[in-house]
Amino acid sequence: MTVEIITYLVYLAISIGLTIWVAHTLHKNGRVFLVDVFHGNEPLADSVNHLLVVGFYLINLGYVSLALKLGYNLATAREGIEALSVKVGMVLIVLGGMHFFNLFIFSRMRRRASLRHAPPPIGPDAFTSVGEA
Amino acid sequence: MTSLIVLYDPLCGLCLRVRGWLEGQPKLVPLVMVPAKSEEAHRRFPHLDHAPTIKDLTVVSDQGAVYYGPKAWLMVLWALGRYREWSYRLATPELLPTTRRIVSLISQHRYQISRAAHLSR
Repeated sequence: MTVEIITYLVYLAISIGLTIWVAHTLHKNGRVFLVDVFHGNEPLADSVNHLLVVGFYLINLGYVSLALKLGYNLATAREGIEALSVKVGMVLIVLGGMHFFNLFIFSRMRRRASLRHAPPPIGPDAFTSVGEA
Repeated sequence: MTSLIVLYDPLCGLCLRVRGWLEGQPKLVPLVMVPAKSEEAHRRFPHLDHAPTIKDLTVVSDQGAVYYGPKAWLMVLWALGRYREWSYRLATPELLPTTRRIVSLISQHRYQISRAAHLSR
């Protein structure tokens, strides 16, 4: 096997492994948030959680796949490792970005849900009696 | 609080346009639109001073809490599912003076705005 093929295979193994790990973390720890957002409706929370993770997988694996191509030749193992570190670094940054984006979605859903029962922003100017409608 | 009664100026094109927009918005608290100083308004709130309700937007809760002008607008925003967050943001001490200024400005010039934008009544 040439250095290129080994670099590609290692790249795929690391990126896919990382994606699975982050998605698993998200799936496991996001559930608590979602159950709270949906007022204890666990089937709905599980469903939304699953759908979010599917989207996460699609975007990340899509990026991993698009970013595979190196575009230049590798002669030595040193060049292979350097190319690998750049590629894996990019995947890590995209994964990090996606992870924070997911956290942002979770926290926004939670805030929206808590607003539903929030009191008015200001007090009234006066009071009046209420007649018939 | 289970509903808010909005007393709006039925002679202003802008107000009618906003009313139409409000009707299409998802609500967390139902809004009941009643023309200001109308018979229905007097029937619903027999002891309310109705003179200011034609000058500024007025919102009355089903429990009788009265909100005038900028406060009325904040209550309307609060009732809307998509804008409840904004009602808190605009009511913070930092933004409330600006909110008051802008709302009174629009309210004072509502007939000019309606005419300029060709919003018929």
